[in-house]
Amino acid sequence: MNSTAGRYLRAFGAFWYDFLVGDRPELFVGSIAILAAVWVGVQVGLQPGLASLVMTVLVLGLAAASLWRATRPTRGR
Amino acid sequence: MDIMVAALPAFLASAVEFVEALTIVLAVGVTRQWRSTLIGAGAAVVVLAAIVGIFGSAIVLLVPIDVLRLVVGGFLVIYGLQWLVKAILRAGGATSKHDEDAIYAARVSAMRAEPPVPARGMDWISFTVAFKGVLLEGMEVAFIVVTFGASAGQLGPAILGATLAGLLVLAVGIAVHRPLARVPENGLKFAVGLMLTTFGTFWAGEGVGVAWPWSDATLIVLLAVFAIGSLLAVRIVQARLQAASTARLAPVR
Repeated sequence: MNSTAGRYLRAFGAFWYDFLVGDRPELFVGSIAILAAVWVGVQVGLQPGLASLVMTVLVLGLAAASLWRATRPTRGR
Repeated sequence: MDIMVAALPAFLASAVEFVEALTIVLAVGVTRQWRSTLIGAGAAVVVLAAIVGIFGSAIVLLVPIDVLRLVVGGFLVIYGLQWLVKAILRAGGATSKHDEDAIYAARVSAMRAEPPVPARGMDWISFTVAFKGVLLEGMEVAFIVVTFGASAGQLGPAILGATLAGLLVLAVGIAVHRPLARVPENGLKFAVGLMLTTFGTFWAGEGVGVAWPWSDATLIVLLAVFAIGSLLAVRIVQARLQAASTARLAPVR
């Protein structure tokens, strides 16, 4: 019973990992980091209007970083 | 306009996922047994409808809108960027495009390697493969329907958009009786990725205290900025690949 429950739990965890992290962990970690950074920025006095620009630039930067990582030449190829 | 906010992304995302699900159902049905395949696919649709109904209603009723927009926005940014980056890489030629004909051929080949179909009763292999395929592809649709529907307060239109896409793909699938290889899947994924990233950034931004300068109209500006950035990224990916290819071909001194 326990092993069956464990198997289902692992499969459930694997599904969500694949769903949200997949083969691009930088997008998962980066998105959370952006939200945390903007929240901290607003809390310490960053103007909410300016924060909108910062957030947009950071999201674009994260996509660019992920694309750069995906297309960089592999060593030894 | 408000209705389209939830219905359009749900329709487009569902069209992409249902095309993929149709390929699985066709491959199983053609090679094994239609009855068990259709029962499996139907059972998966019922499970998906229950998931959307239960989770959608629970989230709308129980979670405060500010918390909902922060959490959902965060998920949508992550998920939208995944779709968008994948679509940019495909459009730029860095990864191969989704080929429904090739996937169909591989599925048919895999099904033929399975034990023969029983002479009577249910073929549980057909049922399981169809059920699992439709459920897994449909989970992405359910996720988008619930998140968009709940955050925009438009769960009904989101469900309607997804249902219309499902019916459209099913009707075309029945009519042509083969995988829908001509559907521009990458273009659709590009559009959905842009929408998810735009709405995710907007809602999550509101959740962490961002004040968008033109209120809801900022969505159009964000969409335009991300679209221009993505098209530019496709060019850059193509240029990087070309540069890497030229460097490999250059004579060694």
